[in-house]
Amino acid sequence: MLEIKDLHASVDGTPILKGISLTIGDGEVHAIMGPNGSGKSTLSNVLAGREDYEITKGSITYKGKDLTELSIEERASAGIFLAFQYPTEIPGVTTMTFLKTAVNAQRKARGEDELDAVKFLKLVREKAKELKVEEDMLKRPLNVGFSGGEKKRAETLQMSLLQPSLAVLDETDSGLDIDALKIVADGVNRLRAPDRSMIVITHYQRLLDYIVPDHVHVLAKGKIIRSGGKELAAELEASGYTDMTESAA
Amino acid sequence: MSDQALTYLDANSVAAEGPAWLDVRRKAARASFADAGFPHRRVEAWRYTDLSRLVAKTDWHPAVPHDGAVLVPEGRSNPFAGIASHKLVFVNGFFRQDLSELDDLPAGVEILPLEAALERGTKFESAFDANGPEAMAPIAALNTACARDGAVIRLSEGIQLEQPVQLIHYTPDGGATVAHTRNVIELAAGASMTLLEAQIGWGGAYLVDRVTNLNLGERASLTHVRLEDEDIDAVHLSTVLGDVGADASYIANTLAIGGRAGRLQSALHFAGEGAHAESNTAYLLRETQHLDSTIVVDHAVPGCTSGALAKGVLDDEATGVFQGKVIVAPHAQKSDAKQMSNALLLSRDAAMNAKPELEIYADDVQCAHGSTIGELDGDALFYLRSRGIEEQTARQMLISAFLGDVLEQISHEVARDALSERASQWFEADSEGEV
Amino acid sequence: MVATRETVEAVDEAVGKYKYGFSTDIESEKAPKGLNEDTVRFISAKKNEPEWMLEWRLDAFRRWQTMEEPDWAKVNYPKIDYQDAYYYSAPKSDDDRPKSLDEVDPKLLETYEKLGIPLVEQMALAGVAVDAVFDSVSVATTFKERLAEAGVIFCSFSEAVQDHPELVRQYLGTVVPVTDNYFATLNSAVFSDGSFVFVPKGVRCPMELSTYFRINEADTGQFERTLIIVEDGAYVSYLEGCTAPMRDEHQLHAAVVELVCLEDAEIKYSTVQNWYPGDEDGKGGIYNFVTKRGDCRGDNSKISWTQVETGSAVTWKYPSCVLRGDNSVGEFYSIAISNNLQQVDSGTKMIHLGKNTSSRIISKGISAGRSSSTYRGLVSVHKKAEDARNFTQCDSLLIGDRCSAHTVPYIESKNPSAVLEHEATTSKLSEDQLFYCRQRGLDEEEAVALLVNGFCRDVLQQLPMEFAVEAQKLVGISLEGSVG
Repeated sequence: MLEIKDLHASVDGTPILKGISLTIGDGEVHAIMGPNGSGKSTLSNVLAGREDYEITKGSITYKGKDLTELSIEERASAGIFLAFQYPTEIPGVTTMTFLKTAVNAQRKARGEDELDAVKFLKLVREKAKELKVEEDMLKRPLNVGFSGGEKKRAETLQMSLLQPSLAVLDETDSGLDIDALKIVADGVNRLRAPDRSMIVITHYQRLLDYIVPDHVHVLAKGKIIRSGGKELAAELEASGYTDMTESAA
Repeated sequence: MSDQALTYLDANSVAAEGPAWLDVRRKAARASFADAGFPHRRVEAWRYTDLSRLVAKTDWHPAVPHDGAVLVPEGRSNPFAGIASHKLVFVNGFFRQDLSELDDLPAGVEILPLEAALERGTKFESAFDANGPEAMAPIAALNTACARDGAVIRLSEGIQLEQPVQLIHYTPDGGATVAHTRNVIELAAGASMTLLEAQIGWGGAYLVDRVTNLNLGERASLTHVRLEDEDIDAVHLSTVLGDVGADASYIANTLAIGGRAGRLQSALHFAGEGAHAESNTAYLLRETQHLDSTIVVDHAVPGCTSGALAKGVLDDEATGVFQGKVIVAPHAQKSDAKQMSNALLLSRDAAMNAKPELEIYADDVQCAHGSTIGELDGDALFYLRSRGIEEQTARQMLISAFLGDVLEQISHEVARDALSERASQWFEADSEGEV
Repeated sequence: MVATRETVEAVDEAVGKYKYGFSTDIESEKAPKGLNEDTVRFISAKKNEPEWMLEWRLDAFRRWQTMEEPDWAKVNYPKIDYQDAYYYSAPKSDDDRPKSLDEVDPKLLETYEKLGIPLVEQMALAGVAVDAVFDSVSVATTFKERLAEAGVIFCSFSEAVQDHPELVRQYLGTVVPVTDNYFATLNSAVFSDGSFVFVPKGVRCPMELSTYFRINEADTGQFERTLIIVEDGAYVSYLEGCTAPMRDEHQLHAAVVELVCLEDAEIKYSTVQNWYPGDEDGKGGIYNFVTKRGDCRGDNSKISWTQVETGSAVTWKYPSCVLRGDNSVGEFYSIAISNNLQQVDSGTKMIHLGKNTSSRIISKGISAGRSSSTYRGLVSVHKKAEDARNFTQCDSLLIGDRCSAHTVPYIESKNPSAVLEHEATTSKLSEDQLFYCRQRGLDEEEAVALLVNGFCRDVLQQLPMEFAVEAQKLVGISLEGSVG
């Protein structure tokens, strides 16, 4: 699915990622953990193709193709979905309008027919129900005035509508209480599939109790310093990042 | 060519008697003002203040020096009197050495009257060349042609002047006299000071026109606190033309209560990135007083911040004017500009005109302006009165709170209290008048 | 009405004095280039107008000659040579005016189709009557019968002069006086045609009224004149839309729209303006100098202007409300989009004269390319306008760093019980929002269109349904090529 080799990236000329290599197979869920400032969010932005992030060295291959040559929306239509840590508020654009525009833009890019209003509405209602997203929320402007939980549920709803091949969940647990976290995690787990891979980026082990990863990587100072199975997360919880980053340095 | 302007200039402009560099500029300014004339309401920037009409039908002639004792009427004294300062005092527009305090100036500090500076051979070419934007250019020209004296304040690099500088203008004599003064204030890189300025007059019908050229070098900082309290029959013009350098800061807070008609205008131009300028004005008017507060901020370079706030209280048949203009030049990205005008109309016959303009040529900017005009909040008044506060007191409380955004922002504590006290006196005069 | 009296007096006086013959061949389809009294007489004669109408025009023309073109707006354009333009032209098949759409020149209909105007069937389905103005003469009007049943008069201005002269004489020039401004005076002299609407007492107009304007002939001055009168307790919603085909020559357009709103009446006037804006280098494009004003003459009356301005090289337009009646309401909702080298100077005037009058102004300006967009507005509260209220929100959005946005509001209050609030902001399209949309698969232009539509939502919501959809598309189309 995804192969990252010796990836170096900078923001405004400051190097943040300093040689990351990572291979993600079909259907695998990888957790990337690390302290603040370790480069976790940079990695997700680089994968999504954000323009102020500059790749200075290394390669990203997605489904056998060079990902770095694709624009942001081409990556999206190719199946890369970024669940934002802080979903952007878009005043004036209702959630429903936005969902329809995004779904049809991707269908069009893939050469599929656009969904008509009736089919689309049916689909959204179905998915929204699963995620306990109120109908009223769909009529409100996207993410504007949403609570932390509503924002993350809206992100998960988008994911389930857009059916990505590779979902990158950036600090999905931030700002959620335990009940909200469970709803979101349930939604994510329902989307696990043999042809869908996920990267779960998180600071805390808590999320990984609900979304159980196949592999865990620890990111510090722009490098992956340890990789292991899901037990690594528990180990981190016990010892903290400090030990690990210091031993790495 | 304007006959009104020519007649005025013939009576009041300064003959070519100064240094050559100045005479050239006076001559040019004279020609330029003669051509433009006194601005009138068909000049867009003066649509709400018809200066031509205000000065018409009066045989204006130069004020003469007032050499005797200056007897300031009760309640009109210099509000900054108790503050230890370096002090320049002008009476009828002429410097009074005996009333000023300019001894023991620290090294790197120059404070003296313009006339004396000129005698020393100091040149102020760039200051006299700075005419400001179109809205202010005619007044700058008039001033250059007619100014005889004024204050010169210059700080060398890095000088942090501990004591404030007071600039006090008294106008005890009227009778259709005019006084044009020109101040030049230059702070070199890293210098800082507080300027306390008071304009107090009781001579009846007179015209004063003060132009201040400011030049703030990099990282320089000027705090400007001002009281404008001219005679109720006087016409006054105050113009600040400022250049604010990189990372420099200019903060002005003004209380205006005097004059038959007046215009306080500032043009602030950012010369370097990271600069900050603020100009806040509170004005309290009654009878047929008219006050025009006009400010133009020119974000000519990226990354500067500016604010302008005008708070007006208008009673009787008074009229208030706020004209704000923010210009963001092409490529002046990351500019942040705010302007706000709030006016309270206390009487049936008061009127307010506001024109807050934005002129934006760069996209990555935060610019906002607002304006409100209304009367005192009836609910708030009712609430206070329901708690047993007398109506007059309740009104005063609400108005003081309204003005607080300007007066409470004054960083010099004693000056802040002094101006708040002046504002309170205004209310008292008001209640006496009504009883 | 002082203006009416003056007009009538001027006309009466003029009728007795001027008896010039016509020196122009009125059989031709086009008035010769240039503007003089003969041009005015030619136009009037072509329309077979009564003497009073001709004299009204001549009076305007004489006054216009003494006026100067205004220069206060923030727009730049080469000096207009008023003698180098045609002031009247009729479509080819004018001699035999069509009675129904079947009789309309198929080529004209084809042009409408290309422009996406669903004149033949879609309009019928939508229940909209159409008074299509092609160049200067009305060529098609539908739904007249249904309107006639309700007592509503909806016809071309020329027809109104023939069939309802008493109404035209009573109201023409009473909202926008002959000498109101340079362009309005020019229009008064040479107006070609336009729409006339009269809704009698207590009638709610049974359908949206709609007019499509076109400019299709080079060098043709377009001087539309529209007069809408809504009597006590009546209501009308009027839609006006313009699209113009590609043109290389600048074309002058100076319309006048007058709305008269009597007691308890309401007029909703919506415009989608998409005249040819010129190419990317600013070549070609329409000069659009419009005077639109509504008079809330009666108590409890309401006038609401909604406009979507995407076209024209130069736009000079300030739809206004005179709030004369007590409790009257004025609204102005505007979207002005400028791209490439377009220049827009638009806004409104709300004149509060009556007690308890209220006004609301929502203006959304979007500038892209090297264009310039100015909001210019006046809110004026007169002494007797007890308890007047105004709220103004004026937002500018900049796309790219070569465009500019200006805000010039005038706020004047002479009444202490009035409350006026004005807010304005200027910002750019957020990078975060663009990234978010693109991450979900929208390409840059789609993302911009979506975000700009969001920015304009408050105004788009004010448009009647059929127009809202068209307007939303227009927003996207107008900004094509503005990013990337």
